[in-house]
Amino acid sequence: MNSIAKALSQTERFTNSWARVLLFMLRARATLVLVLLVVIFTVLTPDFLTVNNLSILAKHVSIFGILAIGMTFSVLTAGIDLSVGSVAGLSGMIAGYVLTQGIAFRGVVHYPNVAVAVVAALLVAVAVGAVNGWLVSRAGVAPFIATLGTLYIARGAALLSSQGKTFPDLAGQRARGNTGFPAIGQSFLLHVPTPVWIALVLFAITALIATRTPFGRHVYAVGGNERAARLAGIRVKRVLFLVYLYSAFCAGIVGLIIASELEAAHPATGESFELNAIAAIVLGGTSLMGGRGSVSGSVLGACVIGVLADGLVMLGVSEFWQMVVTGLVIVLAVTVDQMQSRVQAKLLPFLLRSRPEVG
Amino acid sequence: MGETPEVVLEARHMVKRYPGNMALNDVSFRAYRQRVNVLLGENGAGKSTLMRLLSGVEQPDSGEIWMEGRRIEMRSPRDAAANGIAIVHQELSVLTNLDVSENVFAGRELTRGGMLDRTSEDQRTAAAIARLHMDVGVQTPASHLSLGSRQILEIGRALAHRSKVLILDEPTSALSTVETETLFGVIAELLERDLTIIYITHRMGELLHLGDYFTVLRSGCVVGEAARGEATREWIVRTMFGGEALSSTHEARAREAEVVLSVRDVTLPGRADDEQIQAPLDGVSFDLHRGEILGMYGLLGAGRTELLECLAGCRRMEAGSVSVRGRTIDLDSVTKATAAGIVLVPEDRQQDGLVPELSIRENVVLAAAGERWLSRSKETERVLELVRKLRIAVRDLELPVTALSGGNQQKVLLARCLMRKPAVLLLDEPTRGVDANAKLEIYRLLRELADEGLSILFTSSEIEETERLADRALVLCRGRIAAELKADEITDVALFSAASPRVAAVDTPVGAGC
Repeated sequence: MNSIAKALSQTERFTNSWARVLLFMLRARATLVLVLLVVIFTVLTPDFLTVNNLSILAKHVSIFGILAIGMTFSVLTAGIDLSVGSVAGLSGMIAGYVLTQGIAFRGVVHYPNVAVAVVAALLVAVAVGAVNGWLVSRAGVAPFIATLGTLYIARGAALLSSQGKTFPDLAGQRARGNTGFPAIGQSFLLHVPTPVWIALVLFAITALIATRTPFGRHVYAVGGNERAARLAGIRVKRVLFLVYLYSAFCAGIVGLIIASELEAAHPATGESFELNAIAAIVLGGTSLMGGRGSVSGSVLGACVIGVLADGLVMLGVSEFWQMVVTGLVIVLAVTVDQMQSRVQAKLLPFLLRSRPEVG
Repeated sequence: MGETPEVVLEARHMVKRYPGNMALNDVSFRAYRQRVNVLLGENGAGKSTLMRLLSGVEQPDSGEIWMEGRRIEMRSPRDAAANGIAIVHQELSVLTNLDVSENVFAGRELTRGGMLDRTSEDQRTAAAIARLHMDVGVQTPASHLSLGSRQILEIGRALAHRSKVLILDEPTSALSTVETETLFGVIAELLERDLTIIYITHRMGELLHLGDYFTVLRSGCVVGEAARGEATREWIVRTMFGGEALSSTHEARAREAEVVLSVRDVTLPGRADDEQIQAPLDGVSFDLHRGEILGMYGLLGAGRTELLECLAGCRRMEAGSVSVRGRTIDLDSVTKATAAGIVLVPEDRQQDGLVPELSIRENVVLAAAGERWLSRSKETERVLELVRKLRIAVRDLELPVTALSGGNQQKVLLARCLMRKPAVLLLDEPTRGVDANAKLEIYRLLRELADEGLSILFTSSEIEETERLADRALVLCRGRIAAELKADEITDVALFSAASPRVAAVDTPVGAGC
């Protein structure tokens, strides 16, 4: 070490500053990519940076953002939740069913108000989350398998609820006293679409949970080293259970937003959304191995995915090429992530000078 | 020492069975208030099992635990903490993705209005760290800490929670002499503050002057108890090893046979990232002769495992050369190492060695898939030959390997290595998790193999093992060879003092052997 340090002393200063820049760029890569994309699209399409477009863009980002925010916890525990897309679909269908078909009770069909429909949809979503959580934390099923199973089950349930048809016209009828559902996805507050507000509130709450509460720390601990977390007295099973509950809750909200926006509940809603959410989380620097990452990263990742999708549409790039480009960005991001770990491990001793000697 | 003090923690008639192994057989153990209660025993004697029961990690098959006159039930580490019992595990359980303060309060966070109270956490952590004379910031990521610091950090965890009973499971196995002395000083301070210490060790020398009560375990039974003054070094040795008091003086054979393995200047950079710590190696050179058993002793983190893994081709060395029988080999893969005749029995049998789903036969032949076609009858024939040679106690080769006891599992791994007809056998902690009898059996087997001309290099963190097994010993300290000892020079004092890194200019007295 001594001899190496001496030999490097000449070039060290140069290497050092270069390393710092590299490391910074690697760490801030999602932000850099986002800025780069915005600049490119602004130059190429004059309509990109308009209020109208940004409003649409923000709504898009909100959908994937909420899914990603919800799933971040489960990824941080080294798990995954593949069922979020299906849960979103199911949640919308439940709301649609309650609003259009009503609830039969003793031969009489009641039409509950919007609040009941929303709560019912969220309860069903959370129930799916509870199944996921039970399978992972108590039955010891691998998260990938458990949530793959519920992905199919929830999608099947969504299709069964309407025999595969769409529940149209969710605006409700005044006579039934169940109007107002479209407001969730369509209204504005201070010129900002409500879904964006919902996403922001969820982001704030989730980030607070992650960084400022014991539960958040437990999530990181479980993901970092499950055995050590258990030995430290953390209720690992409880943490794992809650993580899937939360993910499903957020997915339920997404389902409501989409159904409200379209004023219709379609059973195929949310297909492959889980992949977008995972992509956002990974782009945001959260490790699929658990223990490392952040909620804000996931939001950033969702922004990248959203901007990319929107920008490519506005550029008139074909849908097929959009997929190729999105895939490339994801693969690149993960490759860079791997690079970062390696580069960081190599550079950190030099940069920190905190004597992290081993032995 | 006056009247007998009050019993704080008591385990009564504890029984714990594992498949193929009776870990604890009716063990009763008392810990006295404000005393250092030492639990002694060889590896596999049941010490760690008892402590896992006392800390709620596992539950006994039968038996009771009493705390301050009250019977307590412990279903989880959380229950243990609630009862004031803290443990520092032998296998470190530091959360490397969190920082020092977060580690100290993991599972027992301080909150204000539901939110983490980081300020109070940091303050209390800083106080605990200062008491332990630990030189790190409260927000240093735990992944940047050395092994020794990680251990102290875990003690800090217990301190910050004002535990009543602190269990230290082999706390010095990773510590240098200086750190060990710091720890002993801390223990003395802790006793003043109404803490009760349970101290587990197999290093008999280190606690004769610190321990107040001694309990000796052998093969899952309590075989001796003594208070300070009654416990002499001889008593401990006699009780720990039973009738077979070790005569570590096997005849020092002249090992001037040909050099089989020649290692020159092996160097490896040190690294600590999230999960893995790689200890550095700094110009390690030595020769291994034909038919020789060479012991490599060192503290945790000295680089023992790293060295063996370099030699086995599963870890890339940065510089250095290795030659087998005079021919230099390029060690960039396990395949090349085995082709040259070097095979490794890894330290962690379950993780790196056996394939639990496969049968005994399949586990043995795993490495020997050199032939193009597998022939069941030929395989069985060769495996049977090895099973007989290694005296593996097994009725049916098709049983899953997990049906065997630890000692026999280790022999299965040995058999797999011997399938390759190696010239050099590397063993990382050859008797880890093996009971006392099987241990002696493995020593005998290794001796037989050496007599047949096999060259053996083993690493061990156990002084007794090194004393007993090695023809010659090298002591590794912070990646350098600190001493070379001939058979008759291998003593615990010599090993331990050479293995402990020293602060420059301060020649600290050795904690062991007084």
